[in-house]
Amino acid sequence: MNRPSPPDAAALVAGLVLVTFGAVLLLDRLEVLDLRFGTLAPIACAAVGAVLLATGLTRRDRA
Amino acid sequence: MDTPQNDPNQPQSPIGGPGDDPNPTAPTVEQSAGPDSGEPRRLTRSRTDRVLGGVCGGVARYFGIDPVIARIVAVGLVLLGGAGVLLYLAALLLVPADPATGTAGVAAATSDRGRTLGIVAVVVVLLFTWPFLVGGGFLLAGILVPIAVLAVLGLVIWWLVSGASPEGEPRDVAKQALLGVGVLIGCAALFAGGFIATAAGGGAIAASLVIAAGLVLVVGAFAGRARWLVLPALSLAMAVGIVSAAGIDFDGGFGEREYRPTASSDIRDRYELAAGELVLDLRGTDLPAGDTPIALDIGMGEATLLVPDDVCVASRADIGVGAIDVFDRQNEGVDLDWEDLPRAADGNSRVILDAEVGMGEVHVANDRPFGGFESGRFDGSFDSGDRSANTGCEPSTLSVGGR
Repeated sequence: MNRPSPPDAAALVAGLVLVTFGAVLLLDRLEVLDLRFGTLAPIACAAVGAVLLATGLTRRDRA
Repeated sequence: MDTPQNDPNQPQSPIGGPGDDPNPTAPTVEQSAGPDSGEPRRLTRSRTDRVLGGVCGGVARYFGIDPVIARIVAVGLVLLGGAGVLLYLAALLLVPADPATGTAGVAAATSDRGRTLGIVAVVVVLLFTWPFLVGGGFLLAGILVPIAVLAVLGLVIWWLVSGASPEGEPRDVAKQALLGVGVLIGCAALFAGGFIATAAGGGAIAASLVIAAGLVLVVGAFAGRARWLVLPALSLAMAVGIVSAAGIDFDGGFGEREYRPTASSDIRDRYELAAGELVLDLRGTDLPAGDTPIALDIGMGEATLLVPDDVCVASRADIGVGAIDVFDRQNEGVDLDWEDLPRAADGNSRVILDAEVGMGEVHVANDRPFGGFESGRFDGSFDSGDRSANTGCEPSTLSVGGR
């Protein structure tokens, strides 16, 4: 019996990051938040870092 | 460029028949498409007799000459104006490699990945250095260097999107790089579209699209392949984020605007410009005693407020990315909050400037910057040679330095 393949961790993390980031942007556009570069830059760095980390860990698992 | 190796599959005779081959079970190109078979000979790149891509080994075998001679000719062509480089690259892309048959052929094909990456590195370095080493100068560099940058970017994008290193034949790698460049162009278009749409008021829709793309990715992680969506969604998210953080909006139109109100009643409460240059010249305006509030809203660009010498200017500014100079005080950076609120000297008028700029600059002065619109962007110099001062204000209320 075939075991279900594990989810693509990189895509999963990227999806969650984008949902969170999109929610922050939507709140800004609805004027609930006031997004500035000072807050955007760390968020963007954390988002990209999370995706890269997930991608790297996925590759290590496959190796 | 290639060095010969002792390969049993490689006949010393260029059109060697089967009898020349010590390993008759490993068919060569000549055997499968030689004159005896009635098919035309095929020019292929050698998998076993090669240094880079096997072009010289293949050409030597095709013409029945020593591979060393082919390599000497190739090096000569490289030195004679660089034609050899172009010919070699063309052959690398257009001439197919030997079929991976026989033990040596399969072993060579297995090691193709590292070799392919090596060839890519050599090609990129050649594109970067050729105009300076071989000739062509900056004119050729202006063509080749961007091509090299695009090729590298294309391969990186391919790697990010597919999750696999570039591999295969050089023509396959070229296709992968082209696909990567295509994705890059698509992402750039998406970024530009998202930027414009958000600045035009569609930011909520764009942000919703980012959320939707994220949800598709989450589902795709379990159900199938959706990783290709990461870069386009990230491009859109970055566009929305930058516009939101800078506070850019496209109200007020585009281009160059110059206003010279003559009476205080002609002064608007608010001046808006989506992108471009705006000059509000109050030097000929009969300003009333007391405060005159003026709001400037610039999406991207430059705003200049010119006032008479005896008018005090109080200023507040919220600038996403850019700079402000109010007479002899300046500041620049991101998320710039500026406030300078001096009181007017007795009997003088005071202009209270409230500026919101997404990306750009705000200037307040008594003189027009050199040339105004005609000279292009403001260079920080004024007609009088020095920055003027906020002389219409009460000196004790002026802040020291910019903030």
